[in-house]
Amino acid sequence: MKLGDMLRTAFMNLWRRKLRAFLTVLGMVIGTSSIVVMVSLGVGIRQSTIESYASMGSLTNITVSSWRWVPSADGSSGTSTEKKLDKKSVETFKTIPGVIAVMPQIQTYGMIKSGKWVSDCNIMGIDQEVAAQFGIDLSEGRYPAYKRGGSTYEIVMSQDVLNWFYDPNTGRQATDNDGNSRVTLDSRFQLTFDSRNIYQSGMGISEGEEPLGKMYRLEAVGLVSPNNNEFSWYCLMDLEALKKLAKENPSMNLDTSVYNQVLVKCADTDAVSSVKAAIDEMGFGTSSLQDAVEQAEQQMQQIQYLLGAIGGVSLLVAAIGIMNTMMMSIYERTREIGIIKVLGCRMGNIAGLFLCEAAYIGLFGGALGLGVSYGLSQVINMLVGGSGFRSVIPLYLAAGALGFSVLVAMISGLYPALRAMRLSPLTAIRNE
Amino acid sequence: MEQKPIIDVRNVKKVYHVGSVDVHALRGIDLTIAPGELCCIIGRSGSGKSTLLNMLAGLEPVTSGEVVIANKHLERMTQSELILFRQRHVGFIFQSFNLMPYYTALENVAFPLSFRGVPRKVRLRRAKEALKTVGLESHMNHKPSQMSGGQQQRVGIARALVTDPEIIFADEPTGNLDSNTSDDVMRSICDTVRSKNKTLIMVTHDPHMAEFADKVINILDGKIIDIHYNEQPQSI
Repeated sequence: MKLGDMLRTAFMNLWRRKLRAFLTVLGMVIGTSSIVVMVSLGVGIRQSTIESYASMGSLTNITVSSWRWVPSADGSSGTSTEKKLDKKSVETFKTIPGVIAVMPQIQTYGMIKSGKWVSDCNIMGIDQEVAAQFGIDLSEGRYPAYKRGGSTYEIVMSQDVLNWFYDPNTGRQATDNDGNSRVTLDSRFQLTFDSRNIYQSGMGISEGEEPLGKMYRLEAVGLVSPNNNEFSWYCLMDLEALKKLAKENPSMNLDTSVYNQVLVKCADTDAVSSVKAAIDEMGFGTSSLQDAVEQAEQQMQQIQYLLGAIGGVSLLVAAIGIMNTMMMSIYERTREIGIIKVLGCRMGNIAGLFLCEAAYIGLFGGALGLGVSYGLSQVINMLVGGSGFRSVIPLYLAAGALGFSVLVAMISGLYPALRAMRLSPLTAIRNE
Repeated sequence: MEQKPIIDVRNVKKVYHVGSVDVHALRGIDLTIAPGELCCIIGRSGSGKSTLLNMLAGLEPVTSGEVVIANKHLERMTQSELILFRQRHVGFIFQSFNLMPYYTALENVAFPLSFRGVPRKVRLRRAKEALKTVGLESHMNHKPSQMSGGQQQRVGIARALVTDPEIIFADEPTGNLDSNTSDDVMRSICDTVRSKNKTLIMVTHDPHMAEFADKVINILDGKIIDIHYNEQPQSI
């Protein structure tokens, strides 16, 4: 029997018993949609969790520090070991497969003066070549460069620092009546690392004290994006410029031959764990958001299994419904099956016909169920959207659900199909 | 010259086990039927005639003995092989017509061809031809419920012929028809079978129907008690 004929005959057999076929399909619709909606909730929660982590910083970044925590054998205590992070180690990181960029960082603390206003700030030295790759986003302007020999240094301001400007003599905030800072990117700025320049100005220096630190002219070339990532707290300067400043200001107490930390960018999230392991091996301490995400994913997976199992119960009920319908159908059609056997329908074809019928039920039930799921998913997102609890139906879930419902239907139809196949052709000739 | 028989039955026995009792339906049947013969098996109900027909058509296994049809041993075949055998060699006419109620006459006749993988166009063309030979070309698109018993049985005849089998089995083909229609249908069966040079094996309890056949086999209590030839069968 040709496949096309088989599909058509099976469809006609279903069509002749429209109401019953519809009810059975309805069971499958409920089964499929309950699984899909449940799993889509799991997928949605997982996505929003990962997104919330991603908003804290890039998931492909690894932060390498010179300190490494080595737990003792029983895990209850441990020791910290230090390994120097220098230019050489940065070059080694670049050779690890999966690494696409490496950015050493130094951090220091300085004071910025603008007229009578003053603000404290954390300054991070960055490499403008690769800064964008590490998710150091600017909301305005460009990355700071190092002007060799110039007396003006470029800086990218942080919004927080702009907001913190105050008058040290009166303690007044540098904000106008609307709450906006009077200090803007266009203001004149001066940078110093010696607090005496700010707080004891005009008092001169007593004998035996170190000479005052220099005041540097600053040009604000940009603004760090205030979005909640790990860099929005820092003002940014060029790494080499900051190193030069550190040498000129011993009071900073910054060893310019080593880095506070090094950022390593991986090609994708899959590469993170292997790169991390490779750097751990060298004796450095590493941390990445991926650790937290992985832990969260494990929990999410358990939630997904639970949700899927709840949906699975109704699919199981639907499957039993299919089996029941098919068995009924076979009892009803005993004579018909006998006739087509006498007329020369092969055993495999008979089983095939009934399997096709079951598959149709699964297909229609699955397809309608998907439609219902998309509708329900929209309703859920409309009602509780924005609370981090949402329903997402990815393509693989839709395709998988359709395939799965056909598969479940065919498995339910298998026993009835075999029963039909084994029926004796004699029933056809027996005269009632 | 004696033709090689198309059906050769040797010492066939059939025992049904009903509870702890053995019912001997056939007690050793020997029979040969030549190609092109119109053969009628006649007997009272319970004589074993239907059992014999079922065995010849490969619908029931024999308990012992040999059934050789078209040089093939039916008793050695599996279920699947028997179905293939029926596809190639056998057409079947039922007492209660057994048409598919939701198909038209044309679709009913074309139905067995679909099991043989014949494309739809060819199926419908051959079904039309078969319906023409039984004189039903005007009822092709009628459903069985819209046709009389005689017409339905003629659709049944067309369905048995459409696959061009060598042997046609008919189990009380007129059992559900009144006597006038019976004669018409009988004539229709015999005419078509003769014109196409097929072999017909028919079971009936009606001696009048036996008059249409060339060869009449009388069965009683599972044994052949008499075989005679009609010098002038009614169907000619």
